[in-house]
Amino acid sequence: MTTESEAHPVPNPDDDLLRKALAKAVAGLTGSGRLDVVEVAADGVTSFKIIRDDHGVPRGRRWHTQWIDLAQEHGAQEHGAQERGAVLRAADIDPDGDAVLVFSSPGGSRAEQAFEWLRSARPDAPALRVDDSVATVVTEVLRTDPLTRSYDLVVLRPRTDGSLELATVPLFPVQARPGATTTLPLHCERGGPNGTAFAVVTWQGHEPLLLSVESAALPPGSYEVTAELRRPGRVRFSGLPPLSADPRGWAALIAEVPPRLPLRPSGAGHLICAIEVCGVEEKVAERVGRARQVVSTLSNRPGLAVSVVAYGAHSFDRSVKDPRVEVRAWRVDVATAQGVLDELEDRGPITAGYPYHPHAAQLEDMLATVDRRLAADPASPVALLTIGDRPPHPPRIDSSRVLPCPHRHDWRATVTRLEQTWNVVFGAVVDHQAGGPLPRVWQRLGSAALANFDALDIRGLTSGLGLTSDPVPVPFPLIDVE
Amino acid sequence: MAETPRHHIAMWGAPGSGKTTLLAALSVALNRRDDDWKIVGQNPESSAYLTDMTSALTSGKEFPEASTALETYQWALIGPGPTGLFRRQRTSTMIGLTMVDAPGGHFAPSKGRTGGAEERQEELMANLTQSRGIVFLFDPIREFEVGDAYDHLHGPLNRLAEKMLEADQFENGKLPHNIAVCITKFDDPRVLQTAQKQRLLSPDLDDKHQFPRVAVEDARELFRELSRVSATGSAEMVMNALDKFFHRDRIRFYVTSSIGFYLDQQTETFDWNDYLNLVPDEADKAALRIRGPVYPINVVEPMLWLGECLAKQGRSR
Repeated sequence: MTTESEAHPVPNPDDDLLRKALAKAVAGLTGSGRLDVVEVAADGVTSFKIIRDDHGVPRGRRWHTQWIDLAQEHGAQEHGAQERGAVLRAADIDPDGDAVLVFSSPGGSRAEQAFEWLRSARPDAPALRVDDSVATVVTEVLRTDPLTRSYDLVVLRPRTDGSLELATVPLFPVQARPGATTTLPLHCERGGPNGTAFAVVTWQGHEPLLLSVESAALPPGSYEVTAELRRPGRVRFSGLPPLSADPRGWAALIAEVPPRLPLRPSGAGHLICAIEVCGVEEKVAERVGRARQVVSTLSNRPGLAVSVVAYGAHSFDRSVKDPRVEVRAWRVDVATAQGVLDELEDRGPITAGYPYHPHAAQLEDMLATVDRRLAADPASPVALLTIGDRPPHPPRIDSSRVLPCPHRHDWRATVTRLEQTWNVVFGAVVDHQAGGPLPRVWQRLGSAALANFDALDIRGLTSGLGLTSDPVPVPFPLIDVE
Repeated sequence: MAETPRHHIAMWGAPGSGKTTLLAALSVALNRRDDDWKIVGQNPESSAYLTDMTSALTSGKEFPEASTALETYQWALIGPGPTGLFRRQRTSTMIGLTMVDAPGGHFAPSKGRTGGAEERQEELMANLTQSRGIVFLFDPIREFEVGDAYDHLHGPLNRLAEKMLEADQFENGKLPHNIAVCITKFDDPRVLQTAQKQRLLSPDLDDKHQFPRVAVEDARELFRELSRVSATGSAEMVMNALDKFFHRDRIRFYVTSSIGFYLDQQTETFDWNDYLNLVPDEADKAALRIRGPVYPINVVEPMLWLGECLAKQGRSR
């Protein structure tokens, strides 16, 4: 039975009713569900298929079948069951999904009949009669759908030791609606070739899912950034130079994250060059030469203090005294340090041959010496550049079978103390042959800047140590920068 | 006329199992003991060889070079004579000690041997048949890496059995020998840690250096445990072969170390943090030098046990 209001709808209230019905149906859409909205109009049947994507954003598709096409499907002179079947096929309603049926063709008997067939096929579906275009209402409902997943911005958070933690900050919570804004204080360093990426993610369990990325080459500095939710799936940032679409995926973005924040070169600073001076003469000369190269590069840096520490190998014969780590210079200027390095090269290797350990060095003693010196002279920032090859001695016998340090120094504990207590930044130049994994000790001693003898990038090394202003690119905005 | 040993002990083991080092260590160990036992060469070549090997171990801090020529070196272990209420006092006890192998393993399977090798093998076999005490060296590290202890045991054992059967020397279906199985390289962390994990270490309260030790009654268990990690999986057959061919009460296991553990310079006691007595050699990464003084462990004990067994057997005949 058709009521008066259904037969002759008052335009606005019914359109509002449709908007509400559609909004309710869209809100009820789950991850795998589908909503079918079928409009029977004067020119034919239009079917809207609405689903949610992986981010919970409702997406709609639309098919329109004209009456004339429906007639051709079953023959002009045929009616009844065949025409009913053609209408239902055109509507293509998912029997397991939700549906909304809309009639927008007052007075059309053919449309009236088709609408009745659809109602009888899905008696559970809301059936509405409207004057306006259904497409406009569907689009509006999709654009104003509240978020079903929270949106976060990908940022980098510097830890106290200078390393960088990949993190997110919330932009919009669940149920946020278009027009919502969030303002954040962000800091940007120089980005890579694509600039600084403003990546918005949603979450699938504990895994971030990239929703959108926009980038721009921004001048390093602080920004008051406002994010505005334009519609589900679309966030616009303001307070920044214009951003443009960035085609990179999550893996490519993450790959550019440096292990630590490049230190800004400051007026003062302390570079400690620790050099392994045992082994083959040519190698020792090469190591000292590398140290000289680095120090020379920094000759125009005002206020830089340089220390030179030399270490050899332990003696494992009671009759031969174990040599001590030598602090050849401590907090001297660049020119003095260069002179000390010249002397070191002229002297050549120490602790060669028996009874000195042939395959390990006093690396752990060197670290302990630096730690002791810094405790008495805690000026910062400090960069420790170790130039060597051999592993340290462990504090006690272990699977490496390298004899323990006679003083039981523990290189791991000392490195941690240097990092945490004195904020030491570690760089290393290692004679490491490609192919094998880099030993753990050299990974740690080269955590900020690591170079091989054969491919020494002095500029990269000094910038990694925070001694020159050539910072490594930081691909995301930073948060909590002091 | 010079006194000659009444009993003989033969040293047996795979090439590189440490026979030469054990011999040198035996000399050191006897000199560290506060008793009358000593080792003496029975001919000038054997005396010279013993001196050289011992010097290499103590002064040169190098592992003695194994003999490169096939020679049957002979020494005598000389100690105090047995005493007893009704026993006539002998002036001394003398046990012959023969090292009957040379590097390359004349005990190894005889595939591809040429040019007098058979003859040499017969000579070596004769030494084993004449001995009634055998020191069999089992190197657990070599077994872990190469796994050839069984290869070097079962062939010669069959030949020995064949010879003894021929001479009607079987006793109750088994060989008449006493055999001391020496598990070597106790100083290696892998061996020591295995013993520790298996709770087989027992302190020697009289040892001022507090070196860890595995008691004789627990040594068989350690042998079994170490056999499980054999590279070829054949080490477990070594114990079975020994049990089949020798009387169980004539087999004794010893956990030994020729160089012993490194001793802390200050405390003069064993230090669990730093006990490795080896330093890698600069020239050859695979080679090792001896780090500090050698304190052989369980090197004399197998010899004296065998000597005691042989002396008893001699008296009962």
